[in-house]
Amino acid sequence: MEVKLLEKEGVQVFMVTGEINISTSPELKRQFEKQPSKKVVVDLEKVTYIDSSGLATLVEILKKTKTQGGSLGLSGLSDKVKSLFEITKLDKLFQVHKTQDEAVTRVK
Amino acid sequence: MRKKFQVDSDLAVVQKTSEEVLSFLKPVPLGEAALFDIRLCLEEALINAMKYGNALKKEVPVELDVEASDKEVRITVKDQGPGFDVKRLEDCTDEKNLYRNHGRGVYLIHQLMDEVRYNDTGNTLLMVKRIKVINQSA
Repeated sequence: MEVKLLEKEGVQVFMVTGEINISTSPELKRQFEKQPSKKVVVDLEKVTYIDSSGLATLVEILKKTKTQGGSLGLSGLSDKVKSLFEITKLDKLFQVHKTQDEAVTRVK
Repeated sequence: MRKKFQVDSDLAVVQKTSEEVLSFLKPVPLGEAALFDIRLCLEEALINAMKYGNALKKEVPVELDVEASDKEVRITVKDQGPGFDVKRLEDCTDEKNLYRNHGRGVYLIHQLMDEVRYNDTGNTLLMVKRIKVINQSA
């Protein structure tokens, strides 16, 4: 897994590539804690696999962002990844957007 | 075809084990989505067996039995623990539990597999994925 960080219109964008699983999710959490922000987008367009620990990590990131009074959006979910959010009803918890630009516009 | 695996209770070998299982299942005509589901459920089951069944004691093995026919893939995951009662898990999709990170792996297994069964002790899990025939002319 690789995480690239960029700032767009005051929003911290985490672009994740690869798999978010039990081995890699601590690194995603670490990257997030290094760059805490009130306006966050996690772009999952290049994420090919996610397990329950990956979902749990995103929930933790969302919880921390909300606790600080911020907002977080997800973008670019593949059909398969999106279906996991729907099955687990996490789509009710997260703002899910088609594109990174759309997510940035909503979060900023 | 059938293959048995013995896996150390070490989270670092979860991915390697699922790669070996998926490689064994290569001749089976499973689509990409079914392979994703099998991999995810297998990894979730392995992690639970290692963590909650075998208390992450490396030397205590998780036993895997993978059987495939032209109709279905059957995966049995057995740990050496006292077993657990799946009915005691709270519904992770209940609104009050959405922020809690507990039971989501087991829930995904029940949703993504076609059949899920535990033995009476609760330390052996059987997961079945049926092979869907894709009509090429459709």
